[in-house]
Amino acid sequence: MTTLELLPRPKDAAPWRNRSKSLLTKIALASVLPVVLAIAIGKAFGIPGPITLLLVFLPLQLLASGLAALSTRGKRGVADSQLNVAVLFATTFVAIMLGSVLFSVVSFGLNAISPHFAYQNNVYVTSTTSLEYGGAGHALLGTVLVVGLAALIAVPVGIAVAVYLTETRGRFRGPVRFFAQSMSGLPSIVAGLFIFAVFVSTGISRPAGWLASSALVLLMLPTVIRMSEEVLKLVPGDLRSAALALGAPQRKAFFLVIMPAAKTGLVTAILLGIARIVGETAPLLLTMRVNPNTNVNVFSGDMSTLPTYIFAFLTAGFDTGRARSWAAAFLLLAVVGLIFGTARAISAKSIKK
Amino acid sequence: MNTRQVAKGDRAFFAVSTAAAFFTMSLVFAVLIFLSIRSWKTFSEQGLAFITGSTWDATSTPGTFQILPMLVGTLVVSILGLIIAVPTSVAVAYFIEYMAPPKVAKIATSLIDLLAALPSVVIGLWGLYVLIPHAVTWSKLLSTHLGFIPFFRTDFDNAQGAPFIAGWTVAIMIIPIITSVSREVMGRVDKELVSAASALGGTNFSTMRRVVLPTAKSGILGGILLGLGRALGETVAIFFVLNLVFETNWYRVLEPKGGNVASLIVSKFAEATATEISALMAAGVVLFVLTLIVNMIATSIVQRAERKMAS
Repeated sequence: MTTLELLPRPKDAAPWRNRSKSLLTKIALASVLPVVLAIAIGKAFGIPGPITLLLVFLPLQLLASGLAALSTRGKRGVADSQLNVAVLFATTFVAIMLGSVLFSVVSFGLNAISPHFAYQNNVYVTSTTSLEYGGAGHALLGTVLVVGLAALIAVPVGIAVAVYLTETRGRFRGPVRFFAQSMSGLPSIVAGLFIFAVFVSTGISRPAGWLASSALVLLMLPTVIRMSEEVLKLVPGDLRSAALALGAPQRKAFFLVIMPAAKTGLVTAILLGIARIVGETAPLLLTMRVNPNTNVNVFSGDMSTLPTYIFAFLTAGFDTGRARSWAAAFLLLAVVGLIFGTARAISAKSIKK
Repeated sequence: MNTRQVAKGDRAFFAVSTAAAFFTMSLVFAVLIFLSIRSWKTFSEQGLAFITGSTWDATSTPGTFQILPMLVGTLVVSILGLIIAVPTSVAVAYFIEYMAPPKVAKIATSLIDLLAALPSVVIGLWGLYVLIPHAVTWSKLLSTHLGFIPFFRTDFDNAQGAPFIAGWTVAIMIIPIITSVSREVMGRVDKELVSAASALGGTNFSTMRRVVLPTAKSGILGGILLGLGRALGETVAIFFVLNLVFETNWYRVLEPKGGNVASLIVSKFAEATATEISALMAAGVVLFVLTLIVNMIATSIVQRAERKMAS
């Protein structure tokens, strides 16, 4: 038996590896030429930067990429190249915008913040007081208390609704889901007006922390309901059936089997719900008043929170006041980031399991 | 434990969850009813002129309260926001799902989700001190070079406080929301469908146009409507960057004359008299009904899309 001789590998067997010199030149030209040309045209005619970017560079880049695609892939490549350029341009725009938000909060915030800013309160501090004095500690505490109370109400109710949606055969699951979803678009200012109409206009209470918490409950519920429903839906039906088959009553099946199985997901749902409301400003402006002093009683008296603290110093004007707003915004962003980081870490852990 | 006890316990368990469900459902109606009762006085005194007139006068008695310029302004700002946000958001979603390397996509996804929770007061702060200087330059360029288009005509030197800038700010608020929903539905497009399209010789572009977009269309539309709902109800961010003027400005987006229902409520509430508060609540009712309609449409579109994707 003779062994077959290996056939020589054809030269074009792997066209995707074929990085010919001419292709590379074309790619290089298409990526460098528009930039250089745009800068040159912009400088030569004295066109302002942003206009150059949008009206000179973008068309040039589209043209260059189109031509490069035409010569390497033919007519069919042109649309692809235009798509790529447009998508990358839009993505860059968004990245710059959102990056600018994050960057300005961090840089302006770090400029103005100091350790005592996080724990001192605001007594005797006005918009012109030097940054060495006073801080947003009372507002941070206020945010924790008000949001904490809101979570204390919204979490059990939200999970109970999710239980209704997933564990029961209730006839109104469709409408309940629909209204809960529609509520997620409730303008936050309307939530504040509602609470004001119910409790303040009727004379039941003066503006106070717990009113703000009630307004936040309206905004937090939809998030908690939707997320918990998704999480509870993911619990395998077998677990449920097994628990029930072993004779567990439904409530025990839920508390001892289903809820532990969905624990990490539920915690994530709660954290995302909190992240949604921690920065809400409009309802707080209507339902509570700022207070330079520390107040730990959510049921009476005025109380500051981080959003209202920022708002108050912004509307007052003045440079140091503005710096205080940035510092408080940094604190607020840190709180949101912390909540998000925790939620991510928890859900990542549960995926690994 | 006998069966009767089991049944009793379970009945209590279900009763609690049912009660919570009905409580939640009733909240929407409670908001509507309570605000309507409190604002009834305004609605009956002002009549239809409340939404068709453009005078706001709380000093005289009985006072005239009309919000047409604010309503128009709300719509103008939201539509501007959508014009900026929709193409960019869909592009970013496409980038994350189909172009970016997995690592970049993962980071971008969590960043977008984080930014969706960015407090609006922070956006307002950014808009006021960082965006406005740039946006004013842009407005100037638009009005000097493209002033022949009616939208960009302006009789003012400075565009500070113009709807254009507020629309831009709102766009930054809703881009993460629309992106996050669009990315989700684009990710759910059957990967085999996409591979089949390229195997049959489709280019990236034709695959996107003929396969990805048609499949993800209704989901993206739902995301856009959710963003619109948020834009309509946005308060604090707009409050800082928009000039509220009681003069209807339909389309001249570069003139510093804008309106916004939610910002109106915030700006007037602190020093409002009892009659004015009633009028502000009436404005809240109008805003709520507007966003409720948008959100109900959005919800039903998204739910239908999800059912279609699941089947």
